[in-house]
Amino acid sequence: MSLFKARDWWSTILGEKEEFDQGCLCVADVDNSGSGQDKVIVGSYKGYLRIFNPHPVKPGDEVQPEDLLLEVQLREPILQVEVGKFVSGTEGLHLAVLHCRKLCVYAVSGTLGNVEHGNQYQIKLMYEHNLQRTACNMTYGPFGGVKGRDLICIQSMDGMLMLFEQESYAFGRFLPGFLLPGPLTYSSRTDSFITVSSCQQVESYKYQVLAFATDAEERQETEQQKLSSGKRLVVDWVLNIGEQALDICVVSFNQGVSSIFVLGERNFFCLKDNGQIRFMKKLDYSPSCFIPYCSVQEGTVNTLIGNHSKMLNVYQDVRLKWATQLPHIPVSVKVANFQDLKGVIVTLSDDGHLQCSYLGTDPSLFQAPKVDSREINYEEMNAELKELQKIIREATKTQDILPESDKLRDLTVTAEVSPDLDAESQAIESEVKAEAVPSVTVKITIQSRVTAQKPSLAVCVQAPLAVTCDQFVFDDLEPDSSETVVVSVFLKGNCSPSELEGNCMVLYNIPTGKRPE
Amino acid sequence: RAAGPARSHLPRGALRPGRGGARRLRGSSSAAPALGTGPGSAAAAREERGPGRSSCGAPAGGMGLEPLFQAWSYFRRRKFRECADLCSQLLERPPGEQAAWSLKTRALTEMVYVDEIDMDQEGIAEMILDENAIAQVARPGTSLKLPGTSQGGGPSPAVRPVTQSGRPITGFVRPSTQSGRPSTMEQAIRTPRTALTARPITSASGGYVRLGTASMLTNPDGPFINLSRLNFAKYAQKPKLAKALFEYIFHHENDIKNALDLAALATEHAQFKDWWWKVQIGKCYYRLGLYREAEKQFKSALKQQDMVDTILYLAKVYLRLDQPVTAVNLFKQGLDRFPGEVTLTCGIARIYEEMNNISSAAEYYKDVLKQDNTHVEAIACIGSNHFYSDQPEIALRFYRRLLQMGVYNCQLFNNLGLCCFYAQQYDMTLSSFERALFLAENEEETADVWYNLGHVAVGIGDLNLAYQCFKLTLVNNNDYAEAYNNLAVLEMRKGHIEQARALLQTASSLAPHMYEPHFNFAILSEKVGDLQRSYTAAQKSEEAFPGHVDTQQLIKQLKEHFAML
Repeated sequence: MSLFKARDWWSTILGEKEEFDQGCLCVADVDNSGSGQDKVIVGSYKGYLRIFNPHPVKPGDEVQPEDLLLEVQLREPILQVEVGKFVSGTEGLHLAVLHCRKLCVYAVSGTLGNVEHGNQYQIKLMYEHNLQRTACNMTYGPFGGVKGRDLICIQSMDGMLMLFEQESYAFGRFLPGFLLPGPLTYSSRTDSFITVSSCQQVESYKYQVLAFATDAEERQETEQQKLSSGKRLVVDWVLNIGEQALDICVVSFNQGVSSIFVLGERNFFCLKDNGQIRFMKKLDYSPSCFIPYCSVQEGTVNTLIGNHSKMLNVYQDVRLKWATQLPHIPVSVKVANFQDLKGVIVTLSDDGHLQCSYLGTDPSLFQAPKVDSREINYEEMNAELKELQKIIREATKTQDILPESDKLRDLTVTAEVSPDLDAESQAIESEVKAEAVPSVTVKITIQSRVTAQKPSLAVCVQAPLAVTCDQFVFDDLEPDSSETVVVSVFLKGNCSPSELEGNCMVLYNIPTGKRPE
Repeated sequence: RAAGPARSHLPRGALRPGRGGARRLRGSSSAAPALGTGPGSAAAAREERGPGRSSCGAPAGGMGLEPLFQAWSYFRRRKFRECADLCSQLLERPPGEQAAWSLKTRALTEMVYVDEIDMDQEGIAEMILDENAIAQVARPGTSLKLPGTSQGGGPSPAVRPVTQSGRPITGFVRPSTQSGRPSTMEQAIRTPRTALTARPITSASGGYVRLGTASMLTNPDGPFINLSRLNFAKYAQKPKLAKALFEYIFHHENDIKNALDLAALATEHAQFKDWWWKVQIGKCYYRLGLYREAEKQFKSALKQQDMVDTILYLAKVYLRLDQPVTAVNLFKQGLDRFPGEVTLTCGIARIYEEMNNISSAAEYYKDVLKQDNTHVEAIACIGSNHFYSDQPEIALRFYRRLLQMGVYNCQLFNNLGLCCFYAQQYDMTLSSFERALFLAENEEETADVWYNLGHVAVGIGDLNLAYQCFKLTLVNNNDYAEAYNNLAVLEMRKGHIEQARALLQTASSLAPHMYEPHFNFAILSEKVGDLQRSYTAAQKSEEAFPGHVDTQQLIKQLKEHFAML
C-alpha cells in the first residue's frame, strides 16, 4: 500500500530464465576508475557475470549497449559477488566471485578504445581457491585489524567457517550447534563474526577465538573436543530473537556507535555491539531484503526494507518515512552513486529485473479501471423504467415479502341507504310541525367470519337527525353468519341538519384463548 | 411527531482490506502441502536411526547448484512449494538429511502461517461458561462487557450504529469486531446465524480447524511427520530441530496438545532460560483456554527478554480475561521500551474503541499514523470516526487516501459514495455506488451497497426508489434488520399499518440491540391505539438506548394515559 511508485531511472532484464538471490548483486567502483562512480555487478545461478555502468541520457531511457561493460559466462553458478581489497600488495578493488566449490578473485580493468564507444573491459583471474565443502555465503573485512586489505570468510552449507588470507587458506572452524546456514557478517569494531543460527539466535564469534580454537577438519573431532580440550569455539554473546533471519548487516555511520541490523522473517532488529536490542519493529508484511544506508539525523539510521508485496519502505529507525511501489519483488537492494546522481536505489528480482530508481511522487501504478459508462438516452431509459416499475407493481401484488392483507376482516359492517324515501314515514316524535316527516331506510348488515360474542350495534347520527332505534344487541354470532337490521333516519329537530352522515359501531368480544395477564 | 428516523449506516460495509483482518494469511493456505517422503518414513525411520549427519549430499555436477543450497535459496525467496519438493527429493536419498528435514518442516509451516496474535475467535462456550470473570457486575470503564457505561463520551447510537453488544461499529473489520461479546446466553444463541456472524460453539471447533486445513488434506503417502511416532523427549534436547518442529506442529498440524508436550520438554531442557519456549507454552495454554497459566508464561518470558510479540500475546490474554485497563497499561509500558511501535499503539486504540471511548481511540490512531502513514486500519478508523461525527468531507479525504494507496474493494467505494452524498458531492455518489456494486464479492456486500443507496434515495426524496433499494437489500441479505426497519417506515407512510408492523417485528427480532424498530413499533402501536404494546416496545427501546429523548417522552405520555385510565 503506497501512494507513490519508485521512479525508474534505468532498468533492464537480465538473461532468460536465470535465477538470482540475495548475494548476486553488488555495487562498487570495481574497475578502480577513481571517479567514485559505482558499477553494478550481477552474478546469476546460471553462471553469468555482468557488470553495468548505467548512464541513461534521460531518466527511464532504454538501456544503451555501452551500459553493459562486461558479460562473461563462468563455468559454475555464482552464489555471491563481493568487491574488496582482496589482492596482496595493492589497495585496489578486486572482485571476489563465490561458486559452489570455488572462490575466484578477479581484477576488472578497462582499456580506452580509439573511438568513442570503444572502451574495452576484461577480467583477469588473480587467484582461486578450490573448496573442500559446498559454500553458501561469504563475508569480508579487515579480520584481526589488518590495515589496507580485506580477508574473506566463507560459510559452508554444513557450518564451517573457512577463512582465507588473500592468496592463502588460513583455517576452518565448525560453528557449534549448526544445522542450516544463516546470514553472516563481520563487525570490524568488535572484530567478530555475527550470524543467526538455526536455534533462532544471533551469535557473535570473536575472530581471535576462532583463530585460536583448535583446527578441526572433521566435525566429529569437535564433538570430542568438547569433552577433552579446553580450546573449543566459545561464542562471544548470544541473543535469542525467536525467529529465523533473512539478512544481517553492521553499520557504523557516526564514529562511536555501531549497530547490528538483523532482518528477521517477522521483525526487524537493531542491536548494540554487545548484543542488546536497541530497538525492534514488528513488520506486518513478509520482508525480502534490506539495507541500512545512511544516517540523516544524529543518532538515527535510515533503512530500506523490501517486501514480498513489491514495496520498498524507508524507515528512520522505526518510523516509516516513505513507502514506494516497485515493479517486482526485490531479492537484493543496494544504494549506489552514479555520474552526478547520488543515492540511487538498485534492486534485483529473482527473475533478473535489475532496476535503478529514485524516490519520487509519481502516483502508484494502480488506477481504478473505468466503469463502463455509456451514453444515456434518457427517453429510452425512462420508458424502460416505467415498464419495469409496472412489472414490479404487478408482481408485488401477489408475491411480495409480506403480501397485502386480504380485505377480509374478522367482522364487517355494511350500511346501505335506500335510494328512495320511505313510502310510509317511519318518523316518530318528530318536533317538525309538518304533516309528514320523510324518513329513509338504512339496512345495516353485520357479517362475521369468527365467533363474535355479545355483539352490540350502536347507530348514531348528529342531531337534528334521529334514528328509529339506535341500540341493538344480538346473540353470539357463529362464524360466517350475519345479522341484518333495518332502521330509518328522519329529521327530528326543527332545523336543517348540518351533517348528513352517520356512524355505525359494533362492539364485540373475540375469545383469544389466552388468559388475562 | 415523525416516526423514528431512518438511519444511515456506514460500516456494515466497513473496510476489509487485504492487509489486515481475520484472514491475514502470509502463505496461501490453499496450497497443498508438498508430498511427504514415503509414509512417515522421514520421521519414523528417523526415530529408529536417529538423525544422522552426512556431509552435504552429492557434489554439484556441471552447472547444477547444490540441491540443499537451492532449497535454502527457494525458502529465502518464499517459494515454499519448490523448497518442500526439493527437500522431499533430498530426503528420499539415504541417509536422511537433518538439514533438509528441518528446512522442509519450516517451508510447510510458512505455507500456512498465520500470525497467532491476529487469531482470535471466541466460541459461545468460552463466552458464556467463562470461569475467569472476576466480577459479574464490573465497575464502569473497567470491562469490555459493559461498553455503554464508559465515561469517554462515546457517540450515541442515534448517530453511529452499534453492534449487537452495544459497541459502536468500527471502521475496520477485525476478528473480534465481528459480533462483539454478548452479555447473555440468550443473546449469544439468538445471534442471526449468517455466514458472517455465525459463532462456533467453542473455539476448539471453530476457525482454528478451518485454518488448519493443510493438515487435513490427505497425502497419498500420509503426513510428512507422523506425530504419534515421534519421540518428543529426544527432539526437545536438540534445540536447533525442536523450534522448527514445534512451529510445524502448532501451525501446520494444529495439534496443540502435542505441541505443548514438546514445548514443556524443551523448556525444561533449556533450564527455563529460553524465553521463546515460554512464549510458545503460553500460546498453547491460550489456545487451550488456560488463560491464567498463559499469563504466567508470558510474564516470565517478558522478564527474560522484552519482545513486542510477547507483549501483544500477554495483552491478548488480558483482553480475554476482560481486563482492558491492565492491557492498556501493559501496552503503555511496552511503548516505553519500544517507543513508536505501531502494533502496540494500535492495540491501545482498539481497546479504547471497544470500550466506547472513541476520542481516545482516535488519538491513538493518529499516533499510529505519525509512525506509519500507510496504516490502513488507522486511516479507515479515523475516517469512519469523522463520518459519524458529522464531518463527511474530512472522512472523504481519508477514504480517498486509501483509494490512492491502492485499496480497491467494494467497502471502500461504498464508504466513498456515502461520504460524497453527505458532503453534497452528488455527482460522485452514484458512480461510487456503481463501482461498489461492481466490486462486491458476495451478497452481504451487495446488500450493504443497496441499503446505502436506499438512504440516498430517501435523502433525495425518491421514496419509490428507496422502497425498491431496501427490497433489493433484503433480496441479497435476508437478515438485514436495518432494511426491515426502514421499509417499515416507508410502509407506515403509505398507511400500510399491518405490513409495517410485521416488518418492525421482524427487524426487532433480528436485531434486538437496535432501538429503532422498538421505537417505531411503539409509535405505530400508539397510533392505532394499542397502548399496551406501545408501552412494552417503548421500554425495549429505552433499554437499547437509554438516552433517547423521544422514547422517554413517549413513555411519559403513555404513563399519563394509563394514570388517566
